[in-house]
Amino acid sequence: MKNSQEVLELDNVCTYIGRTEIVKDASFQIKAGDIIGLIGPNGAGKTTVMKTILGLTKFTGKITMSGAAITENNHHALEKVGALIEHPAIYPFLTGEQNLELYSHHHQDMVKIISELGMDSYIKSKAKGYSLGMKQKLGIAIALLNNPKLVILDEPMNGLDIEATIGVRKLIKKYADRGTAFLISSHILSELQKVMTRVLLISGGKIILNQSIGQFEAISHQKYKLTTENDEQAEHLFKTKGINFKKQKQYLIVGQEDIFKIQDELAKKKLHLKEMLPIEANFEQIVVDTLNKERD
Amino acid sequence: MIYSIKQEFFKLYHKKMFWLAPIIMLVLMIFTGYAIGSDEARLTAVMCYDATDWITFILIVIGATSFSMEYQNNAILTLLYKASNKIYVYLSKYLVLLVYDIFLHLVAVGYTIVLKGFLFKSNISWTSINYYHQPLWVNTLQATLLDLAVSMLIITIIFLLSCLINSNAVVMTTSLLVVLLGESISSDIMSKPKLVSVLKWNPFNMLNLSRQYGNYATYHLTTHLSNVELLMGTLIYIAVFFVIGYWIFRKKRF
Ligand SMILES: Nc1ncnc2c1ncn2[C@@H]1O[C@H](COP(=O)(O)OP(=O)(O)OP(=O)(O)O)[C@@H](O)[C@H]1O
Ligand SMILES: [Mg+2]
Repeated sequence: MKNSQEVLELDNVCTYIGRTEIVKDASFQIKAGDIIGLIGPNGAGKTTVMKTILGLTKFTGKITMSGAAITENNHHALEKVGALIEHPAIYPFLTGEQNLELYSHHHQDMVKIISELGMDSYIKSKAKGYSLGMKQKLGIAIALLNNPKLVILDEPMNGLDIEATIGVRKLIKKYADRGTAFLISSHILSELQKVMTRVLLISGGKIILNQSIGQFEAISHQKYKLTTENDEQAEHLFKTKGINFKKQKQYLIVGQEDIFKIQDELAKKKLHLKEMLPIEANFEQIVVDTLNKERD
Repeated sequence: MIYSIKQEFFKLYHKKMFWLAPIIMLVLMIFTGYAIGSDEARLTAVMCYDATDWITFILIVIGATSFSMEYQNNAILTLLYKASNKIYVYLSKYLVLLVYDIFLHLVAVGYTIVLKGFLFKSNISWTSINYYHQPLWVNTLQATLLDLAVSMLIITIIFLLSCLINSNAVVMTTSLLVVLLGESISSDIMSKPKLVSVLKWNPFNMLNLSRQYGNYATYHLTTHLSNVELLMGTLIYIAVFFVIGYWIFRKKRF
């Protein structure tokens, strides 16, 4: 049921802490059903972007939620936003259920979220005794209460085991299919790769890339590593045919654009490929590549 | 706003201290009743068997955790973004403590009536004329109202401190020191006879209001102010500290 209804828009937003500019000229949109991954290394400004959207910092530029402006002193537009920022907001002297009741407007809804996150067995005990992952789930549950149009999750997979991570991913997808938009941060690219529909890369407070996941995967998979029966011969061949390559351990690294040519040339010389695999570029590599491209 | 107040109440009455406080208070009041005995029956009835002091301690403990629990449990960001204006976060906490303060004072008066009627019987009746040529029951009522004002001043100070200092242990200790040493700090400040006319208006002096009401002769010597002047000062300082506290809260980055 995806539609392209716009939920959130940032226009030239700069965030200041004291006099320091932390977020630098961020502009992007989030549409209903989008799952945006806000990816960046520690200190890149992910949390600050989220706090800014929630009207918790001093900023310039414009932020609108379904057309209504969000400012530091007017949060009316945030009514349909759920958020988990940095650490879950949980009172240890309340039970998990009471922590939810504190914010919940619809009891039925709350009960459903509890079971969706598999928290039924411990929801009635005091949050004091919860493990890191249990608290994290409760924080996610709080963010999902009251049918939000936009859910902001700051490093939601922190402390979750594999099973829980998969569960949360599924839940996010389910809500997104119903039209809820998500803005989710992580410093680990692969954590969100399986759910996100768009990627926002942030580094040093600047949004350096904003692409759909399809476009993004094209960049991040653009290198291949291969070995042949006789790599010395292959190297010589690549050199004479003007094919760029790098040596890395036992592999030869080549660009995606040369793949067909390489296969042809190797076939002509009757050199058999032993192995050829796409390389998933790591985060740092993509940031470096993107910045390099910007400079060109 | 009403929603924020409801949330604050929800948190308050789920705290152990909320239910424990009236019980602790009763025990301490009975203890005070026995310790002082019947010689001072009048004074103890007016001061609700020292309940006013116990209420102060309870409020310091609950008030100091009111903000620090939000910082420590990372809930402050959630509270702030969900509130349409920052003032609602501050105000709802304040109002809830005000209501709890009133509740504790009512409980104290209730206990006093019961204790005086059954446990600490004396021949001074509620209608007998006592301080300020008024019947005992009027004295008790007035003392309670004045103490309410003083305890709100203390809450205002606690809120101000909570916004300056994130640790509730430090806030609690500082507030306790202010309350316990307020009187002597105040008389130290006023040790220079020439400046007394100005310095008698220092905020610590106002904390003597309810004690002075029950023991005018002794306290007036140190406060140099009349009961009415002390009350005026208390109310003005509540307003001033509230505004400063909120201003600090507003400026604070989380
Ligand atoms: N209260 C603050 N005072 C001064 N600088 C701050 C403050 N909060 C954040 N910063 C600075 O802002 C920058 C971005 O911080 P932010 O917390 O948004 O990063 P992040 O991307 O969320 O990092 P992480 O992955 O570690 O959570 C950092 O360089 C940090 O030093
Ligand atoms: Mg962060």
